[in-house]
Formats: sequence, structure tokens, C-alpha cells
Amino acid sequence: MRKKIKYIVVVLSGILAINSCDTKDLELTNPNALSPDTFFKTENQVQSSVNAAYANLQTRGLYARHIFFALDLMSAENQGNGGLEGNKKPFANFSFDASSDIIQYYWEACFLGIAKANFVLDNEEKIQALPNSVLTQEKKNKFLGEAHFLRAYYYFLLVPRFGDLPIYTTQTIDGAARSPKEEVYKLITDDFDFASKNLLSKDVEEKGRATKEAAFAYLGKALLYQKKYDEALAAFNKVTGFTLEPKGQFYNNFMDETEHGPESIFEIEYDEALGVGDKWGSDTSGEGKAESTLRGQEYGNLDWYNVFPTDDLLDEYEAGDLRFGDTFYVPGSKYNNGANTMTAANFGNGTRRAGWKKYQNYYKRVSELQQSSINFKVMRYSDVLLMKAECENQRTGGSQTAAIAYIKEVRDRAGLTTNIPATKDDVFNAIIHERKVELAGEQVRFDDLIRWGLAAEELKDKGFQVGKSELWPIPNRETSSNPNIKPSDNNPGY
Amino acid sequence: MMLKLKFAIIALLIVSTQDVMAQSKTIKGVVTDPAGVPLPGASINVQGSKNSASTDFDGNYALQGVSATDKITFSYVGLTSQTITVGDQTVINIKLAESAQTLNEVVVAYGTQKRAKVTGAISTVSSKDIVAVPITNAESALQGRAAGVTVVNGAPGTSPVVKIRGLATMNNSDPLYVVDGVLVGNLSGLNPSDIESMSVLKDASTTALYGAKAFNGVIMVTTKKGKKGPGQLTFSSYVGAQTVTKRYDVLNTQQYLQYAQDAFNQDLIARAAEFGNINTNWQDEIFQTGLMQDYNLSFSNGSENSTSRYSAGYLKQIGSVIGTGFERYSFRSNNTQNIGKLTVGSSIGVSFNKTNPERNSGGRTLLEHAIKMAPYIPVYNAENLGGYGGVIKDIDGTNDAENPVRVAKNGYQEIIGTSIIGNIFAELELYKGLKFRSQVSLDYYQNRDHTFVPGFYEGTNFQNYSSTAEINSQGQTIVFDNSLTYKTTIGEKHNIEVLGVISKIENKSRNVTAGSRNHISNDIDQLSITDPTLTSANFETNNLGYVVRLNYDYADKYLLAVSGRRDGSSRFGSNNRYGNFYSLALGWNIAKESFMNGSVFSTLKLRGTIGTTGNDKIDDYRYSSNLNNNYTYPFNGQAGLGTTSGSVANPDLKWESKKDRNIGLDFGLFDEKFTGSIEYFNNKSSDILFAVPLAASTGAPGGTQFQNIADVQVRGFEISLGYNDRQGDFTWSAIANLGTSKNEVLFLAPTVRNQVLGPVPRAGLENFSRLEVGQPLFYFYGYQTNGIYQNQAEVNAALGSTQTVYKPGDIRFVDRNGDQVINSDDKTNLGNPYPDFNYGLNLNAAYKNLDFNCFISGVQGNDIFNANKFDLESMDRLFGASTDVLGRSIVTGNVVTNPSATLPRAGGVSQNAGSASERYIEDGSYTRLKNVTLGYTFSGDSFSKYFSKVRFYLSGQNLVTITNYSGLDPEITRGTDGTSASAGIDLGRYPQPKSVIFGFEVSF
Repeated sequence: MRKKIKYIVVVLSGILAINSCDTKDLELTNPNALSPDTFFKTENQVQSSVNAAYANLQTRGLYARHIFFALDLMSAENQGNGGLEGNKKPFANFSFDASSDIIQYYWEACFLGIAKANFVLDNEEKIQALPNSVLTQEKKNKFLGEAHFLRAYYYFLLVPRFGDLPIYTTQTIDGAARSPKEEVYKLITDDFDFASKNLLSKDVEEKGRATKEAAFAYLGKALLYQKKYDEALAAFNKVTGFTLEPKGQFYNNFMDETEHGPESIFEIEYDEALGVGDKWGSDTSGEGKAESTLRGQEYGNLDWYNVFPTDDLLDEYEAGDLRFGDTFYVPGSKYNNGANTMTAANFGNGTRRAGWKKYQNYYKRVSELQQSSINFKVMRYSDVLLMKAECENQRTGGSQTAAIAYIKEVRDRAGLTTNIPATKDDVFNAIIHERKVELAGEQVRFDDLIRWGLAAEELKDKGFQVGKSELWPIPNRETSSNPNIKPSDNNPGY
Repeated sequence: MMLKLKFAIIALLIVSTQDVMAQSKTIKGVVTDPAGVPLPGASINVQGSKNSASTDFDGNYALQGVSATDKITFSYVGLTSQTITVGDQTVINIKLAESAQTLNEVVVAYGTQKRAKVTGAISTVSSKDIVAVPITNAESALQGRAAGVTVVNGAPGTSPVVKIRGLATMNNSDPLYVVDGVLVGNLSGLNPSDIESMSVLKDASTTALYGAKAFNGVIMVTTKKGKKGPGQLTFSSYVGAQTVTKRYDVLNTQQYLQYAQDAFNQDLIARAAEFGNINTNWQDEIFQTGLMQDYNLSFSNGSENSTSRYSAGYLKQIGSVIGTGFERYSFRSNNTQNIGKLTVGSSIGVSFNKTNPERNSGGRTLLEHAIKMAPYIPVYNAENLGGYGGVIKDIDGTNDAENPVRVAKNGYQEIIGTSIIGNIFAELELYKGLKFRSQVSLDYYQNRDHTFVPGFYEGTNFQNYSSTAEINSQGQTIVFDNSLTYKTTIGEKHNIEVLGVISKIENKSRNVTAGSRNHISNDIDQLSITDPTLTSANFETNNLGYVVRLNYDYADKYLLAVSGRRDGSSRFGSNNRYGNFYSLALGWNIAKESFMNGSVFSTLKLRGTIGTTGNDKIDDYRYSSNLNNNYTYPFNGQAGLGTTSGSVANPDLKWESKKDRNIGLDFGLFDEKFTGSIEYFNNKSSDILFAVPLAASTGAPGGTQFQNIADVQVRGFEISLGYNDRQGDFTWSAIANLGTSKNEVLFLAPTVRNQVLGPVPRAGLENFSRLEVGQPLFYFYGYQTNGIYQNQAEVNAALGSTQTVYKPGDIRFVDRNGDQVINSDDKTNLGNPYPDFNYGLNLNAAYKNLDFNCFISGVQGNDIFNANKFDLESMDRLFGASTDVLGRSIVTGNVVTNPSATLPRAGGVSQNAGSASERYIEDGSYTRLKNVTLGYTFSGDSFSKYFSKVRFYLSGQNLVTITNYSGLDPEITRGTDGTSASAGIDLGRYPQPKSVIFGFEVSF
């Protein structure tokens, strides 16, 4: 009997041992990640949510790699060398289609940025509810302003490329149908307008963040793209406190050490020192440490030299234009702090006339080392001046004389005299020329050609097809995953 | 009625009636194993009577009441039974031969079962098969031997990819491994020579007891236990060499220079001269003669009340790809002890191993680099930091091509692991037939993956610092099982067995990843705080399962098995945390029916099963949403950390479930001389979990949401046939098996219909694995082609006269919808990554002391997407390439001048190379002579004084392969990043080498 009791005790204790670890053990929370339920409690957390939305700008889908390749090839500022990869070649002859990974990355990088901005804006209630002791009203406004600015910035990268777009003003997992591009521009202008009223001025804001002045500049640019010249000019006029880099120091705009100079209104930030471990991994999300761009490595004639400036671009420069020597290297150019000299052999064994100097690190070193810290000055004051000139020239009752004055300011710095007849056509032609040489390799020319209606003529030898090549196709990845955008909804010709 | 009569007549004719007068006597003797070692516990039965005996500890027996006409059967588990007619003998000594047959006892979930009573689909492989052929990992023992099981090996030290009955999920498709009742992740820590048997449980009636873990089938491994009898010491060893002989035919320097000039207008003659016009064969540089050596020592003994076995093993492999290798020390101790009604035991295996994996760089495999490298570049260059040659200027091929020798050998990567697999159990007989068993088991691992890359310079590829990275991971699974079994026989014929189990599984793991750089020295391979990266993570999963099983049979004739399991898993949200799984099986031993008396069938069994299992092999915490704070953007020169939504949660996640149906017929003829089985299975998995791509424009974090979205059916036949015969000193056997499998997607949620997924195999080459209802999972989808455009008229006829992109010399992709535009609407089905059938043929023969084994396996009807062709034939950019590019289309004056060319022009439209087209797809069928072994066993008195057995053998593996596949190896492995979506894609990884091995085994 004693034995039997012993057995029963053994069996029961075994069963009890299991049931004592009850089903609570099946309810686990992830110890490795933050929960959305407990976020937006401190200034650091609010700021961090805004920071994340900037990170997509740095991705390979945008400024780390593909945006400059695609746009500088399409605008015929560049031509491909033998090493140009197969996925980039189609941008030289407009043969890309909806399967292009580059177009997909561009699309996704922008929309991921938009979703991150919406993550901030979706939590506006939580942010506004924070007591002023935690976060002042001014800062609440400016953080929300940054989110609005970035949402508009990404949409403004998208709309010239794709036309009608799905509009998202809140985070969702349900794909939306395309809205007319006019509605997209409405959202862009509203967002930049909100930003211009709530952001801090460049004098007090951290370098790298969107400022009130940047918001006005982009508001003006978005209005200009809609041909709303008077409103655009009004916005540009609020971009104050900037001057051009002085004559002879144009190159300050393209070096690492002289970032955030007097001419710089908005920059895409890179800084190798902050980590480059994920530089090959971040196509769209901006996740990880990818604080460098491949621009120098890809364009540099001492490195991969995948593209080279076209004769058309090189020949556009007037004799004596100081910008030529700051934009291009040619045989005989000094580099590496003046210690070295380029030879013909450095340019495709003598087969090419020039290579890029703008945004290259050769001014201080002999190799690009596959990473560059040089920020892209995506909105420079000279660009604003030329856009102001365009507004003056185009608006009803505008002054050609005023327009010429803006152009002259830019040309003076380039060491050129200005002698433009004060007619609308002459001024327009001067603007076309000036933007081409001032902003070469800065991804503005293709958009300029499209909005001026000049692409058909200028790019006819490049395979540009009127009615098709103005826009990129919506990538397959979207049409296959969004039930509201079907392949048949794609842009004409794709 | 007529039928019965017929049976009766046949039975009467067949049964020989014997009416000789019975005269009773006693016979005795000794029963031994093939090596002459006495067998305790062998059974001796008089056919057709209840008269029986069993051997004592020294193998002696005595059987009374025997008549001269009696037939006596001697049998022992794992050995071939022998039947002897008594005649006038009074002493009968029997040496039982090794069984050519599968084991009589089969290991099943939570116990063993007599093969005669098995109703489910189970394949077994015994230790005899495992040791017959030298293998380095346990999984390989199943290859070609178990119908419906595919095993593909990778680099040394990597776990082979094992699939049972095809691919039924888009998630982890690895089977569950159970070693002595311990659930383990893989078998890499297990020494194959410690294995007694492996059972592959293939249908739900056998796997449902493991419920949510059994979706992909279960492989039950039983390790060798001590045997009753005097102690036996065994030592075995083998050494072997391995080589990869096949190469892609690539350009030599002279051809390369010609190609560069003609196709890319690059004059590299002077460039090659700078290097001295050498000719480097980069493929030869990455392969080497691999070596392996294996040593095993074991000791086994047992008394009436206890058995034990101890073993130690050492394996060292130097891979046939440079820089790869594997080393394993393994130790095992198995003990059981009977104390009255209590049995306690333990089984502990510990292994220490070191793996040097195949390295890669820039996301490219060694083979890809070897193909791409220009042949005029030297492997070594003493002037460079690190001493390696490489691409110096862009014209040498950009930095996509890296010196593969440097990639593999500059610095090192080693993964040092420790694993402990063990259990302790106690079993107590509470009442006659009622047993309580409690078992605690542990699967523990610790891995340290350390990579050190010294700074180097080879040209455009360089690293101006040394880098160190280390991933430390550690995990443990503790399973606590408590079970009650009741086994009884009612009225002599109703055999009943009932089992109840409560099982709790706790899994915890942790990893720490760190990295740093050293800008000053290449001499320190340790971590520091210069440019550091550091992360860590903890994971936890808990499961709770309740199991019941009832086995019933009536006189061994009519079999019934019912089981059920209720499982809870922490991987799922509270909405769907529990799942119920069940099975039902019926069997009919027709051979035992009286009307079969005397028929040629010694076995004839019909069985049918139905049941369900689940799959919880998804990542932890999928049901909850979280934030991702791994974003950085510089502000004021400082890193601004960013945080945003990290995942799209799905609180409604539920189990993947699978319903299996299986019908089988087992047969054995002429006293089991000829055996076989035929199975038909039809498995339908539903609610398959998949990371569903969300509309890209929503910017949803990760771009996907895990959803239960698909149903897949896998069905097929499996046939196994065996024959064994003995004529004097000559014995031989042949075992053949064949498994067919057809994979079909039955349902897809609208969001994933017609999605093209899978890996992008090469930068610039689109992906092509598609999901579509009515097709196999991840079938190949892309463009058909129809030759090359020969002239402008052909281009215009196909694509209209306005387009300027396609030119003569480009590939004519088939414009299936006839809209004169080649786009994704023109894609179609290009192939099926899964074979129509797998087969294996195993031949064994022995004559006196000579033994011979020959083993052939193969697959038929699968397609392989050969991504290496992109490197070999794309002509996209100037790199090393196949010699076929010399015969590319040459266009002069807008006309192709060599119409017989099969490759397009160089530098043509990007679709030529970048589109998934049928030009990449090849027939993957092969037949391979996996193994031939010739062995000799020494015997005779002079030996038996010192040894009980000495055997030497010579073995060759993978010596002959018959295939039309152009790649290095049709047995393709997936990468470490591989998911189910990479099925059938050859990315250029470790090919199976040919091996020659010499080995011996000595027992004392």
C-alpha cells in the first residue's frame, strides 16, 4: 500500500509540474523591440520619429545611387561608359520598362518616406497632448512641420516622374488608386505651406533639418512647376538670408568641408564617420548605417567612371565660364590638393574629353574609396534666383529687367558678362542656358526640359518618345501588389 | 460464396498436408549473430504451435516436445529469421544472418511498434545501411533509401536540405528531428556511426502526435544502445579524398582579349602584356582536393539489468572548395537500468565542432567571381597589401569581379559550436500493463561565428583596415514529457494500447552580434571599440501539448489507431493560439486471414490513414506590432536616431495546417524473399503563412504582412521493392524505391495571386518564381524565346517600325499577346522546380568474406534555373565569360552575319540578359552512382583469437553522374539565405565532390 501511494505521488507530481507552468507561458511580448503603445512620451521620441522620415533620402533608390544616374542620363548630361550596368543603361535611351529595379527603388524609397511622415502625423494627437514642460508648443509645431515638409518633398520627387499618384495622408496597408496629379500638387503645396508657417528658421535650426526658408523655396518650386508664377515668386521672395558663394568659390558648394554655406538652402546629408556598414544594403528603407553616397565612386574618372559628361553639355559652357573648371576635370586639371595632375589616360585612355568634378572627392584625395560624405545641395540660392527670373519672365506683368538682374547675379559669380536683350524669348533662352550650366549634374535639367516642353526636341536622338518618355512607368511591384492600380492603369506606352 | 469456395480450394491445394507420426524430443543449441557473438533473448518457435523458448545470457536454448517434422523458426530483432526442419537433429546451432529487410520494430512517436502492426507511412534505415557507406552527416543516410525523401548536401558542416514528400509550405520546410525522444533542430551534432536506426514518419497518422511541429514530417533517430552480452569494443575509421572535376568552359586570355576588342571595343593587349600575358584559370584556383578522415571508438556492454554504450568520434573534412572545412568531436553515452518495475535511463550526446563555411563577397559566390575574373590577372601579387592580385582598373572588369582566392583565404571565418542533446527518463510499471514515463530532454547549442578580414589591396577592391565580426548565439530547448501507457490483451485477441502525454516545450535563444575595425594593424583578430557595431536579441517560444493515442487490433488482423493532440504556441496571438490535430488509421493484415494460409504471401497488408498536422515554424512575435529604431540621419554632424513603425502586425495569424491521406499496401512473398510496398498520398496544406507583399505605395514597414493565404496540394505514389536471396555462400539483395510527387497550388488569397517572388539571382536579372493557382509553388515564369532577330525587317515585323530599342542580333522574345510590345504580359510558364519522381537503387551482395554495395539515386523531370548563365553568357559588361560568347551573333550593316549563332549580339537590349527567359532554364534530371563499396571481412581462428570482426573496404562516391545539366552539379543546394522560394535555382554554390574512401572496422 505504501508503495502504491508512492507511485501515485510520483505520477501526480509529474502532471502537476506541467500544469503549474500554466498557459500564461504562451503569452509573450517581444523583448527586442519598442511597442507603439508606449511611444511618443518624450521630446527625444517625437524627434526620433521625425528623424526616421529623413533616412529615405539617403537610400540607394534616391541620392546614394540611382537618382543621379537616372536623371543625368535622361537629360543627356551624361553618357554611359562600358562599365555601366544593365539596369542603368535603359535611362540613356528611354528603354526602361515597369520591371526596372531602379524605378521600383525610387518609388518605394519615396513612399516609405511618406509613410514615416504619416506615422508622425497620425500621432499628432499624442504629440499635442504632451505637456509643455516635456515639449514646447513651438517644437511640437516644428516637428509636425518637418513631417509635412518631408511628405511634400517625397511627393514632389514622385509627381514629375509618375504623374497621377496614390495619395496617402495616413498610414495604411490598403493600396489606394491613383489621384490626378493636380490633387497631388495640392497636397504638396498645402504641406510646404504648413511647413513654411511652422518650421524654425535656418538661424536656429540644426543643420540638416528642414527650415522655414527651405519650405518657402520648395513651395515656390512646386508652384513654378504648376506654372503659378505669381504665387511662386511670392514664396521665393520669402527665401531670405542667403547669398551666393563668392566669385571664385563656386566649388564651395560641392565640397565636404564647406557644407551649409551661405548659398545652401536644403541638403541631403551624408557623413561617413557616422557609419557606412549598410551602404550596399539600403535600397529603399534607409535602415541601418548608410551615411555615404556612391556618387563619387560611380562618376569619378579615376574610379568606376560609369558615365561621362556629354559633348552637348561640355560645349554649352561659354569661354571664360569659371564654373567649367569647378564642374569638370579635363586633362591637365589639378587634384588631390594640387599634388596630382590629370592626364589624358585618366579619361578612358584618351577617348573621353572630361569627367565630373562636382561632388567628387578628388579635390582632396586620389580615390573615391567607394564612399563619399559630400552632401547634395539640392536647393541652392542660385537655383532660387534663376527660378525667380523665370517667374518674372513668365508672369503676367512681369519685368524682364528684373529677371535679367537675377540672371546677372548668377553670371557675375561665374566671371561672365551679362548682355541679354529684355525680351521674353531672349530671357527664356538665357534661363535655359544658365540653368543647364549652373545646375549641371544636379538633376534639374530633365524636369526643366519636360515642363518647358523642350524634351522632344532636345532628346530626340536619345530615344525620347513623345507621349511616353515624359513619365516613368508605375513599377510592376506596385501594380502586382495594389489591387487599385492594375497594369492597365499604367502610364501611356508602358 | 463462389469466391470463398475458390479460396478454400486454393488453400487446400497449396497447404501440404503432413500426417507423419509425431515423436517428441528435446533439442538445444546456441544462437549467434553473424559475427559469432552469442545472442541472449533470441526466440525459438515451433511453427504452428505455441511451443517456444528463448536463449539465455550466453545464447543457449533448450526446446522440449519437438518432433522430427516440426519446423523451427529462430528469430532476433534486426536479424533475418531462419526456419529449420528438425529432422533427426538434437543440437541445432544457428548463426543468424544480417537482415536485408527493414527492422521488425519501428520507432514511432512516443514509443515503438511492431512493423506488422504499423498502419502509417514509415520508411526506416538501419545502422547497417548507415555504416555501409561512409557519410559525414546523419541526414545523408536517408538519401535515396527512403522513398519520398530528398536530401541535398552542401558545404562541409552545413546541414543538408531534407524534404519529405515535397514542398507543402512557403515557410521553413525542414522536417522535425527527434533523437531518442529529444526534439532537435538538426542532426549536425550527431555522429552517424552512433545511429541505430532512423524512421521517417511521412503521413499524419504517424506524425500527428507531434501536432504543430510535424507539418513537414518527422525523422525519428534512435541511437545505439548497449547490448546484453559481454563487452564489445569497436574501432572504425576511414580516410578519403574528394574532388570537383567539372568546370565551366571559360575564355582564356587570348580569347578574352579578342572578345574585349570585338564586343566592347576595348584594346587590352597592352594591358595583358603588363601582367606578362599569363593565363589564370580561376575555377581551378577555387577548387582543391578535399580530404576527410573519420575515427570512431565505441564500447558496449550489458547485463541482465543494465546496458550501456559509450562512444567517441572525430571527423575532419577539408572541403573541395578552398577555405572550407569541418571538424567534429562527438561523445555519446547511453545507459539504461532496470530496478524492479522501474527503468531509468539516459542518453547524452555532446559534440564540439568547427566549421569553415564557403565565403563570399559583395553578395557574390566564389564561383561567380571565378567566372567573372579576367584570365590575364594573376592570383598573387606580392606588391599588394595582402599579396593578392586583382582588378586594378575599370577596364579589368570593375570591382564586381573580386579575386576569389582572396575572398576565400584572406583572413578566416570559423564557426565554433558546442551542442548537447540529451535526455533522462524514468519508466515505472504501476500495474500490469500500465506504465508511467517521465522524460526531460535538452537540446542546447552555442555557436561562435568569428570572421576576421585583414586589410588588403588588390586594386579597385580594397579594405584599408582589418575587420572583425563575431556572432555569438546560444539556445536551448527543454522538453518535459509525462506519459501514461496502458497495454492489455482482452480475450486473447483484442490487443489494446492507450497512450496519454502532456508535453511542455520551452525554447529560449539569444544572440549577440558585434563588429569592429582596426586601422592600425592586421595582426589583431579580436574585437575592439574602433568603429564598433553591437546588437543583441532574446527570443522565447513556449508550447504546450496534450496527446492521446489508442491502438487496437483484433488478433493482429484488423488494426485501428486513433490519435489527437491539442497544441498551444506562443508564436500566435490570443485569437488563434491553440490548434487541434488528429489522426485515424485502419489496417488489415490480409496474410493472417485463414483463407491465405499457405499462400505465397508471407505479408499482405492494406492500410489507410487520414490526419492533420500543423506548422508553427515562423519567426517569434509575428502577431504583435513593434517599432524599428534602426534609422540614422546626420544632424549637425551627429547621428540622429530614427524610430518608426517596424512591422505590420496580424493578430489573426493562425496555424498552417495540413491534412494527409495515405493508402498503402505492404507485401512479402516467398517467406519475405520478395518484399515491397506501394503508397499513395494526398496531402493538402491550408492557411499557409506567407509574408504577403503589400502595395508598395502604402510604405508599410517591411512591405509585407504575414497572412494565412494559400492552400497547396502535394500528392504522389511511393513504391519500394526488395529482393534478397541466398545460395550457399552467396547472398544478395536489391532494394529499389521510387517516389513521385506533384505540387499544385489550390488557392491563393487575391492579394498574392500571380505574384512573382523569389530571389533576384544576379544584380540586373529579374526574379521569376511565381505563385499561381493550378501551378506548382514557385514555378518558373518568364519569356519564351524564338531565336535571334536576323535583320531589321524581322524586328519590324515583330515589334513595329517605330521602336528603336530592339535591333538585329537581339533575342526574339515571344510576343505572346501579339501587341508588338515585349512586357510582363508576354511571360508564361517556363518550368517546374520539383522532380516528377526521385528514385534509388541499392544493391548488396556478399560472397564468403567479400561484400559489395552499389547505390544509385536520381531525380527526373525537374527544371533548374541556372543563374550562372547570366555570368557566362549575358555579355552585359566586360567580364570573364563562357567560350560560347565567341560564337555570339555578329551584326554587320544591321544584318546578322552568322545566322547559326545562338547567343545574341554583345551590348544588345538589356532584356537579352536581364529578363527571366527560358534560356536560363535547363532539365535538372540526373542519375548518379552515389556509392560503390567493396569490402572484405577477415575471419578464421587466427583472427578470432584477438578480434571478433575485421573489415576493410574501399568506397567511391558520386563517381558517375548522367545528366544533361550544364552546371557543375545538378544536386543544387540553396544558400543560407534561401527560403522555399529559391527552389530549383542554381546560384553557384558548393558542388558535390567525387570521393574515394578507404576504411576499416575492428571489433574486439
